[in-house]
Amino acid sequence: MSRDKHLPLTETVYYILLALLEPAHGYLIMQKVEELSAGQVRMAAGTLYGAVDNLLKQKFIQPTASEDSRRKVYVITDLGREMLRQDYERMRHMIEVTNMQWGKEELLHEKI
Amino acid sequence: MKKYKFFTNLDQEEQWLNDMARQGYLLVRKSLGYQFERSVPEEANYRIDFRTFKNQRDFEDYVALFEDSGWTHVAGTKGSGAQYFKQNGDQGNEDIFSDADSKAARYQRISDMWMTLCCCFIPIFAALISTDAIDASVILKPQSLYYTPGLWEMSGPRFWQAFLFETPFALFRGIVWMVIPVMIIVYSVFAYKAKKEYDKSQQQ
Repeated sequence: MSRDKHLPLTETVYYILLALLEPAHGYLIMQKVEELSAGQVRMAAGTLYGAVDNLLKQKFIQPTASEDSRRKVYVITDLGREMLRQDYERMRHMIEVTNMQWGKEELLHEKI
Repeated sequence: MKKYKFFTNLDQEEQWLNDMARQGYLLVRKSLGYQFERSVPEEANYRIDFRTFKNQRDFEDYVALFEDSGWTHVAGTKGSGAQYFKQNGDQGNEDIFSDADSKAARYQRISDMWMTLCCCFIPIFAALISTDAIDASVILKPQSLYYTPGLWEMSGPRFWQAFLFETPFALFRGIVWMVIPVMIIVYSVFAYKAKKEYDKSQQQ
C-alpha cells in the first residue's frame, strides 16, 4: 500500500487537525493545541497562521460560518479526518511494534 | 520624524526598531519611509512578518489573531507585504514564530514578490524592443539623439550653445527606457538576496 504523500503529519499539524474536530478560530486553535499536547506544543501567532493557510490549501480544513465578524472559524474536512486517521494508524503501529520489541528484550534479559 | 532606510535582513530591521524605541521613537506607520512618533524611551519588542492578503476580511482575521495573542499591529496594510507587530506590555521577548521553518518562510514570500515584479517588467521590455520603441544603436551613435536641424554642420559658439541646450533632452530621450532593464536587474538582485536569507535561516 502506497502511503499518501502528506504523511506522516508533523506534530503541530496533527494537533491542529485534532483541535479542529470542533470549529474554532485562530487563537482558540492555539489554546486547544497547547491543552491537547499537555503544554508541549506552544505555537506563536505567525506560525499558526502559516500552518492554517497551508491546511486550507491542502483542503484538510475549511472555513465555516462564524458569528464573529473579524475572526474566521475553521473546521476539519472529510479529507482532513482521513489524514488524521491514517496518521493515527501509523503511530499506533509504531507503538505496538515498539512494545513488542521491548517485551522481547525484557524476556531476553530475564533469561540471562 | 521620518526616516528612510532599506533592510534585506528582517532581524536587523527588528533590532533597529527596538533601538529607535529605546531612544524614544515609536513606529507608527511604514510606507516608503518609517514614520516615528516621539515618546518615552522604552524596551520594545518589534517583530516583522511578510504577507499580502486577497481581501480586507482575510487581513482583519490575521490582525485579530495577533491581537488575541498579545501583539499590536503597528504598521502594514492589506497589500503592503511587511507587517509590523509590537508585543504588548514591557520586557517581552517573545517571537511571532515558534519554529525555524515558518520564520524562514517569510524570506521565501519576499523573494517571490520581487520575482513577480521582475516578471511583470520583462514582457514590457520585450514589447518595447520588438516594436522598435527602444533603439539600442543610440549607444554607438549618440548623435542620433540630437534633433536640432543642421546641428552637426554648425561651428564655434553657435554649435556649443545649441549642443549644450539640447544635451539634457537628448540624455532623457536616450536614457529613459533604461529604467526598465535597470528595474529588472534591481528586482532580481532583491529576489536573490531574499532567497539567500531564506537559505541562511533554514540552515540555522
